[in-house]
Amino acid sequence: MNWTTFLHFTRGPLFQVSLLIFVGGMAYRLVRVVLLGWKGDKAPAKGSKLAGVAKTYLKGFLIFPFIPWVKRTFNRNPIMYLAGGLFHLGLFAAILLGTPHMLVWKSLLGFGWPTLPLPIVDWLAAASIAAMIALLFYRRTNSLLKLLTGPAETLNWLLVFLPMVTGYIMTHHLFFQYEVLFSLHMLSVDVLLIWIPLSRISHFMFYFFSRTIHGVEFGKRGVTP
Amino acid sequence: MSEETIYQRLEKNGVSRRDFLKLCGTLVGAMGLTVPPLESSGLPGHLLTEDQTIRKVAQALESKARIPVIWLEFQDCAGCSEALTRSQSPTLIDLVLNTISVEYHETLTAAAGHQTEENKQSIMKQYAGQYVLVVEGSIPMALGGAYCTIGGRSAIDILEEAAAGAAAIISTGNCAAFGGLPKANPNPTDAKGVWELITDKPVVNIPGCPAIPEVFTGTLAHFVIFGALPELDDLNRPVTFYGKTIHDRCLRRPFYEAGKFANTFDDEGAKQGWCLYKLGCKGPTTHNACATIKWDAGLSFPVQSGHPCLGCSEPDFWDGGGFYQGQSAPLNRPAATAVGAAIGAGAVVGAAMAANNSAQKKRAAQASEE
Repeated sequence: MNWTTFLHFTRGPLFQVSLLIFVGGMAYRLVRVVLLGWKGDKAPAKGSKLAGVAKTYLKGFLIFPFIPWVKRTFNRNPIMYLAGGLFHLGLFAAILLGTPHMLVWKSLLGFGWPTLPLPIVDWLAAASIAAMIALLFYRRTNSLLKLLTGPAETLNWLLVFLPMVTGYIMTHHLFFQYEVLFSLHMLSVDVLLIWIPLSRISHFMFYFFSRTIHGVEFGKRGVTP
Repeated sequence: MSEETIYQRLEKNGVSRRDFLKLCGTLVGAMGLTVPPLESSGLPGHLLTEDQTIRKVAQALESKARIPVIWLEFQDCAGCSEALTRSQSPTLIDLVLNTISVEYHETLTAAAGHQTEENKQSIMKQYAGQYVLVVEGSIPMALGGAYCTIGGRSAIDILEEAAAGAAAIISTGNCAAFGGLPKANPNPTDAKGVWELITDKPVVNIPGCPAIPEVFTGTLAHFVIFGALPELDDLNRPVTFYGKTIHDRCLRRPFYEAGKFANTFDDEGAKQGWCLYKLGCKGPTTHNACATIKWDAGLSFPVQSGHPCLGCSEPDFWDGGGFYQGQSAPLNRPAATAVGAAIGAGAVVGAAMAANNSAQKKRAAQASEE
């Protein structure tokens, strides 16, 4: 098997299988969470739940994360705030606004969108990678985080780091032939896709559930059981 | 084949000594030869010129006799032969065609039928162990090779017979190298490239659809002059010509870096000559010399004339994703039914687990009440 054949395998059948496992796995997780149920109010609550949800998204998701001094995370833990923020920003810029990734979405969804020039995506991706390294270092040195870190957390970090670093090296045509890095990038993405439903990386979906529920609780005025 | 040297033959045809040396220089350039022995000699820089290499090539051509070539065609379109014979760089091609003597070539030969086959047999006997075997087209292995027969014999049979006495084998074009178009999914004839079948002889692959004439002749010239094949990569392609990708040497590369892409074949980007990546260009994974040697005497190559690279020098390029689909995209999109089935299966298992859990919870609640 040569690298071109291996690339065809990782871009073809393996990607398809990984994608199906990802989709099926996330459907499973979603149904499990939704069917956990939601306790109704025993007495009608005052206040608007919808307004609470809107407010929590606006403040907590769209505004406050970008104004550092209002966030407790920033005051108490600037590394976590900055590195965590940069990582997510770079990650989403690369996978949504990088041209090669947009073409992946286009082939799957049937439509595309304008993308950012390579140098911008490139710097954001580099910042992301640096942030990930900083976060790993922090996780390894902070006494509280050390207690919270098990093999699953390390694996989460590694399986996200590998696609990012292979993608970055590939874009810069460094060290190896392009198809070698392309194959490794695709292989790491395939493994990540399978791993996501099994891991806490699934927070990309459940984050919105928890924030919505918090919003409802925030908007409600009354006694909660 | 006469025993006169290549230079004597050229001289007879009216090539002056000056022109001969010029041609040697062209050959040195075409083969991408440098002067490594001199570089390590510690001589001052101004003495390290290509003259030494040119002299070496000239000496070889002056002293060597022409090399007999047997050219076999199997599941092919004769496109590689066409490209070579209609090449627009006559000096180089002429030179190389003067340094070899094509003894058997089904498309070019004047004779036909048994006469040609007998001639081939006698050449193979006369020059056993000396001739270069050029193969164009893939070899079908299904049904005992019945998909391609010549004179009642299967392609694999003919290939094995000719390969046995060859000094080296050159597979020209993607078909002979990697199976090419005949090997495209579902590969009904079980087509294979030469190097998958002949493992006891040196095989050099010159993939492309067709192979670039200068790349073919450069490789052949290397064999004629040095008596050995050039340095090969892991797919047995000469590193000189296949060491870099189209993307590495592409004239549109700066637009790729700047994120300026043509989105359709007739938009402003296409008119401005921007990068064709979004239109499916396979340049980043395609190793070939198109972007430097180009075609038609260096006039142009596909990307320069506005068409994305198809990746025709890579194995299985017909099955490497749509020609006009971005290279980063997965090879195929999973079928909607498969996605639906995956979601359905996930949801059903999830619901069953949830039902089981809630039943368990109820039982526990009842038990605690009792």
